[in-house]
Parts: sequence; structure tokens; C-alpha cells
Amino acid sequence: MPQICFYFQLHQPYRLGNFNVFDLENDTDYFSGDNEEIFKKVSRKSYRPMLTLLLDLIKRHPEFKFALSCSGVFIEQSLEFEPHIIELIQKLVKTGRVEILAETYYHSLASLYSEKEFELQVKQHGAVVKELFDYEPTVFRNTELIYSNYVAYQVEKLGYKGILTEAVDRYLHGRDRTKSYLSNTDKPLPLMLKHAPLSDDIAFRFSDKNWPEHPLTVDKYIKWVEIYPEDHSVNLFMDFETFGEHQWEDTGIFLFFEKFIEEFSKKSYNKFVTPGEEVSKLDLTYLDKYDVPDPISWADVDRDLTAWVDNDLQQDCINKIYELEPLVLKINNKELTDQWRRLQTSDNFYYMCTKWSNDGDVHSYFSPFDSPLEAYRRYSIVLADLVIKIDKENQPQQKVDN
Amino acid sequence: MNKNKVFMIGWEYPPHNSGGLGVACQGLTTSLAELSDHIYFSLPYKFSGSIKHMTLLDCSHPDWCTKGFSNISPPFFAYDHSIQIPAVRRLDPANLNVRQLSSLAQSDLERQVNQYQDQVIKNSQKKDFGVIHAHDWMSFPAGMSVKQKTGKPLITHVHSTEFDRSPVGGSAYIMNSEFEGMQFADRVIAVSAYTKKILIDKYKIDEKKIDVVHNGIDPISDADPGKHHFAKSRPMVVFMGRLTGQKGPEYFIQLANSVLKKIPEAIFVVAGNGDLYHELLFTTANKGLSSKMLFSGFVRGDQKSKLLDRADVFVMPSISEPFGLVAVEAAQRSTPVIISKTSGVAEVLPSSIQVDFWDIDLMTNKIVELLNDQNLSEDVISGQHNELKNVTWKSAAQKVMDVYKNVTS
Repeated sequence: MPQICFYFQLHQPYRLGNFNVFDLENDTDYFSGDNEEIFKKVSRKSYRPMLTLLLDLIKRHPEFKFALSCSGVFIEQSLEFEPHIIELIQKLVKTGRVEILAETYYHSLASLYSEKEFELQVKQHGAVVKELFDYEPTVFRNTELIYSNYVAYQVEKLGYKGILTEAVDRYLHGRDRTKSYLSNTDKPLPLMLKHAPLSDDIAFRFSDKNWPEHPLTVDKYIKWVEIYPEDHSVNLFMDFETFGEHQWEDTGIFLFFEKFIEEFSKKSYNKFVTPGEEVSKLDLTYLDKYDVPDPISWADVDRDLTAWVDNDLQQDCINKIYELEPLVLKINNKELTDQWRRLQTSDNFYYMCTKWSNDGDVHSYFSPFDSPLEAYRRYSIVLADLVIKIDKENQPQQKVDN
Repeated sequence: MNKNKVFMIGWEYPPHNSGGLGVACQGLTTSLAELSDHIYFSLPYKFSGSIKHMTLLDCSHPDWCTKGFSNISPPFFAYDHSIQIPAVRRLDPANLNVRQLSSLAQSDLERQVNQYQDQVIKNSQKKDFGVIHAHDWMSFPAGMSVKQKTGKPLITHVHSTEFDRSPVGGSAYIMNSEFEGMQFADRVIAVSAYTKKILIDKYKIDEKKIDVVHNGIDPISDADPGKHHFAKSRPMVVFMGRLTGQKGPEYFIQLANSVLKKIPEAIFVVAGNGDLYHELLFTTANKGLSSKMLFSGFVRGDQKSKLLDRADVFVMPSISEPFGLVAVEAAQRSTPVIISKTSGVAEVLPSSIQVDFWDIDLMTNKIVELLNDQNLSEDVISGQHNELKNVTWKSAAQKVMDVYKNVTS
């Protein structure tokens, strides 16, 4: 019987409003999408009931523990729209059995584009986590579990003790995903890999009536977990919204989770573990290397970057936003920098994805826009406005006629 | 019989129009109503508003009415192939902007034009008129039949040809309809000398049979030119039109790329929808123009006016443009316009800057000059304003009356 490591991701982007050319230089808010409405809806359906259930399970089952990661933009919106969600997380952290992971404040792709920007965003996130939860994360998880040797190199420099990422067989070469590995860097860090099949059974397939294993019962699921030997770790990493949002309450997802924790805890040899705990007890000398030269992620069937950085629309927007880095930082205006960073949130580029097949369906489910083209169209106009603002600040003497 | 009573065969009328045809019919009939004794105007649908200056005839075919929906727009939009509406899945008025896309088979197109013809013949019976006036190919078969039935002279009015819309070869059926309509007509009206030349060169219509009547435009009182609307600190170059090959939007992107090398702070706005939209966005991103070349989507009303008021230069790089009303609208709003030589509007706005649509270098230089030289820009604007004085529907209606006289005397 292996141990189980649960990690749930909490994130909500700032969605763009219907910003058009007529808004250029007219001080229109970029992020006037349905952010409040969506946040409140997801709070009602998922955050509130699931956090309450987790708190209850922590009280009832002394062995139960898990990890959460909250993007900074999630925390910000929660404080603004639903502050009691933060209070629930604070209560959970206080129990001492909930670990908070490190990530970039803006849920960005900065690790791929700018070491300096990456470091600043991770530190900004660390500061807000410290302030709100009085907690200092030791393990890092990158946006969408994006990982490569180069990411590990950057994370190691920031002092973290481990990283969570995806198990991708083109780099795992048939080895166990339930083992921990070492990064291929000068100063290796331990890595914990997501168990995609068992995670996605809950996150994606749970309510899929075409799935041969539907309906998923606790007994069945425990059997699948129990296959693994004692010194293995089944790492179940998923979006927090799996519970109540992606899988609605009427699918029985909350009851399933509750019963699973109850049944699993009944056997005294079963254990839960958190990432920080796990990496601190690993003997690194016995770990294999996980060599990932090109970035991987937990997204789509390809587990690569093509959800965000694939077509010309995405590439030009990402290149443009990171080209602005030196200009924005030089101005040193808090509000402007924040706007620029919110535009780095990975979701902006995800909405522009034009891949076909099942992945495209998933993208359109999550997108507030009618089409990838509309996501791009609005983003490019907002980008133009931001460029104008930046240029003005950098050339304050230039007189504007008319 | 009254020679000055007109039986006009139309296809679309504002607000349910896809392009210049409806607008031209509105402008022309409004002024013509004051000169003629009466106008009957047929439409392939039931017009929902009220029109005082003429009698509208609902010539929709019963087949086009699906349960629960009445005909409130043409069975297909002749000018915009991207917004053809299938007869069996009609849009309701509230959702007209949604423009559910669907293509219409050639046979459906022919069938609907023939059905319109039948309905127009029925509606022409027992009507008192001295001349038949048909607008564009969708109406030509109906016009020919009414002429056969009544023996009244037929005028076919060409607002655009299939050759303009598909320079590399369009629908043989449509071209044939155009050709037969013009052959059978007593006189042909072309919206420009440019179009007249196409009718002579491409359709082999007798030069002596064709009269040129330029479109007019209604004067405006709300022009508010200036940079104050939006993007105040940036030079702005605007393209407005359907995003189809005919309008040359690809040249506009090339142009942007070229101008930006000289004026990097310029902003280019593309306003409109069409079948090239998807491709144009990708080309824009591929050329790295994502924060410079902006797509506003289709604009109408206030937004349209505001964009034309705001534009520092308006460019219409059409490959073939029978008239080009939007360039006149830009000129009305004190924006210097650059138009392709292959456009009818060049004939009424000689002060505008005329270029070959493919001549990116020359267009680049012209834009740079206009953006950098306020005096030059103002010269062009005032020249255009002077010329606009003659671009009236009153003058167009007078010329049309002359054509009527010619065929009825």
C-alpha cells in the first residue's frame, strides 16, 4: 500500500473585458470581464463546499493531510469578492496539516521567458502567502506544472527544496511515476511526479458516462491505488475546482471524496503525505534523474507547452508582453507593473489556442471568449494601450498635440 | 400610362442590407421621389419599417417562410457571401447580428432568384408605370420578365459586378445573369466610369447603351474630426470594409508593416468582418504586428462615425471597387483618403490620393507624408470637401430621370 499525496490548485485569472480600439488612451479598465461573477459562482459551487469538507475531514481524520497552491491573482480576487474563502484557507493552514506550495503570483509563464521576472513573481507570491497564512512554502509548483531542467535550475536558486511536475513518458522512459526523482541540474532537487491516470480519473473522467469504469466507486478506486508497493507515492494533483465546478455536486464528487478519505484512513497502514514532508525525508543519493531538456506541463494530451505557446497569435502576444519587461520595470509604477503582469497570466494565451481534437473542447469550456480569435483580438488591443502608456511614461517630455 | 411612374426592383434596403446596394437604393429613391410621379419598389421580403416616399412591394416567396418566422431580410445577401442565409433557417430580427454562417448552394441561389422573379411578375400586374428599373443581377431576371409582360422599357442598374467581387473568376451563373440583364435592357446605368469600362471590356456591352450615374451621399451634420476620441497621442490609419479579397485587406497589412518602419508609433485599425478575418489575424501575428494592427470588428452607427472622425488617414486598397461609398464617408468626416485607382469613387474625389492597390511603396510614402505634413493633409481634406458638394443624391436622381426620358420618349 503506497502513500497518497494530494495537491489541489486554486487559480482564477483576471479576464479581459470587451476592450476595443475606442478605449485606447481612455483609461478603460482592461480586466472588466466577468471576474466577480465567475469567482462568486465558483466559490458557491466549489471553493466554499470543498474547503468546508476538507476542514471537516481534517478534524475527523487525524492522518489526513494535503497541499494547496493558490495563485496570487486568485488570492487577490478572493480578498475582493469572497474574503471568507481566504478565512477558510487560513483555518486549514492553522491545523498544521495543510501545506501551501510556492508558485508565481500571476500564474505566468515567466520561468520560460525571464529569470528575473520569474524570481520577482515567486517572491511576490511568497510575500502574500507569508502575510495571509504566516507560512513559508518549501516546495515549488510552476504554472500548469510546467517543468524543464532550466526551470529546476531557477527554482533551486530561489532556495526551494523540491518541485512538483508531470510524469511524461518521453522523459521517464517507462520508469515509475510513483517514485521521486532528481532534477538534472548542478544542484539537484527532488521531484514528485503527478500520477496522471489516477488524478484524471477524478478530475476529468469521474462523471463521464462513456468511460467504461463509470461510475467510479470508492472501493474500485482504492483497489487501483493499492496496487502500488509501500515505498511508492501516488501523487494526486488536480485543479481544486474539480470538486463542484468541473464535476458538479450532483455527480456525487463530494461524497466520493469524503468516503474515499474515510475508507482509506480506516486501514492503519495507509498514509497521507504532503510534498514538503516527502522531500525532506528522501535520501537523494538513491534517486534517479528525470532529465527534461524541453518544457513539459500537465496540460492536454501532449503534456507540453502547445496549449499556450503554439500558434502565431500566442507566440506574438507572449513575445510582445515579455519584450516590455525592461521598459515597464524602468518606469517603476506599481499599477502599470501590475497590469503588465496580469497580462502575463497563462490563461490569456490558453484562450488563443487553436489546437483541434478533445483538447480544443477543454479550452473552449474554460474560455470566456467566443473563439481563440476573439481572445487574441482583445488582447492585442489591450497590448496596444499598454504600449502607449509605457511609451508616454518613458518619454515624459514629449508634447502631445491636440 | 404615366411615363414618370417607376417600377423598381430591389433586393435589400436598410437596415437589412449587406453593403452599398441597399444604401444606394435608399439614397436614390428618396431624391427620385421628388422628381418622379411614383415609385414602386419590390423587395424579396416583408419590410418591417415604414417608408413614405414610395410603395414597397413584398415579393417574398411563400417557400422562404419557415414556421414561426416571417421574411425580414433577403433570402441571401448578394454582396457578402459570408452571410448567406439559408432559406430554411431564417434569422429572427433580434439575432440578425449573430449572422449564422452557412453557404448556399448555387442551385438554391438560382431557385430563389427565379422565385423572386415569379413574385415580382405577380406584383407588377395592374400597376401603372412607364419604366422598369432593376438593381443588380438578383433583380435582372425579374426585370426582364416584367419587360416581356408589359413591353415597358427596362433599365438595369449595375452597382457591382461579379468581376469586381471575384476578379479571378466568380460564378458563371451570376455573370450570365448580369450579361443577359444588360443585353435585354434598353439602357444600362453604371455607378462609375470605372464600372462602365468593366461592362464594356469584360461583358462586351455596347458603350453607347451605358450611362454613368455616380452615387450620392446624404450630408452629415455631426462630423467631429480630431484626435480627442481615442488613441490621442498616436497617428492612426484606418481600413473599413468587408474583409474579402476584393477589398484588399491583405495589402493593408503589408502597408502597415512598411509604414511602421518609418513611423513606429502609428496604429492601424481594420474595421469589418468577412471571410478573410481569420487569415488576417494570423498574418498580423505572424508579422509581429499584434500591438500595432488592431481589429475593431464590424462597426456601425456612432462607432463607425467616431472611427472615421478619428482616422488620420483612410485607406481603401480595393482591387476592384465599383464605387466605394465608405471613402466618401471618410472624406465627409475630414479624413484624407487614399484610394485605389481601380475604384469608382476616384472619379468624384479627384483631390483624394489615388494609387495602384498593389503599390505598397507609394502608399507608404503617401501615408508618411500625410501623417508628417499637416498642411498637405489639410489641403487634401479641403479639396475633398469641395468635391463632396457635387456628390449628391439629388444630382444622381436628376441623371436617372434623364435616362428615363431617354427610354420613354
